[in-house]
Amino acid sequence: MTELVQRELKLDIAAEEAWEALTDPGRLSAWLADEVELDPVPGGEARFVLGDQVRSGWVEEICAPDDAPDGSGRLSFWWSCDDAPATRVELELQPLGDGGTLLRIAETRPLELLDLVGVPLPGSSRSGHGPVLMAA
Amino acid sequence: MPEDRADAVFGALADPMRRRLLATIAQRPATATELAGALPITRQAVAKHLASLTEAGLLVREREGRDVRYRATPAPLSSAASWMAEVGGQWDQRLARLADALAQAPGRSGPRPPR
Repeated sequence: MTELVQRELKLDIAAEEAWEALTDPGRLSAWLADEVELDPVPGGEARFVLGDQVRSGWVEEICAPDDAPDGSGRLSFWWSCDDAPATRVELELQPLGDGGTLLRIAETRPLELLDLVGVPLPGSSRSGHGPVLMAA
Repeated sequence: MPEDRADAVFGALADPMRRRLLATIAQRPATATELAGALPITRQAVAKHLASLTEAGLLVREREGRDVRYRATPAPLSSAASWMAEVGGQWDQRLARLADALAQAPGRSGPRPPR
């Protein structure tokens, strides 16, 4: 079974406007988690507080609608907590003809297949111990 | 897991409100009245969803005085299915919060013309 969760949400705002809600840590903390710290550059570190759980992570790819020829936006990041395998989250904004935007999210846990429970999160090598994994 | 059981599990999880209920109960066991108070559906609708989730073996009923408290049982799900149910429920909640946040933000209610 593919370990994939996908959701879609139609937004009544333009992709550029929705992009802020997806990438600004202050706006993200209104919906993604209780507290969000995120350095919006590839490889940037991220930290998410969800209730009593803290997840660390890093940004894989970030491409603003203003920089894409088709006006779409994409943010992908990895996150994990404690000894659970890291999972990959992708948020994509696709402009719709009516001025609205389609938000697609997908979360996968590709590392689960490799049985890498307990291995430090890709990109979190700055903590200085354990093998380092690079995202494909 | 026998095939008919798998059908019941995935059938129960096909509905976003049932996933949301399961995710809520997985965090803390609750009664139908408590769930109806926390979610935008009637107690009657909650009871119907709870019956479906219980039938699929995803919830167990625990009598507590005059109330029945529901508790999540991850047992009938494989690891992958339970991960997808849990994470899916979390995203349903996050996207509901995002929709609320965008609806409440001043000056962001109306669609804009495309570029």
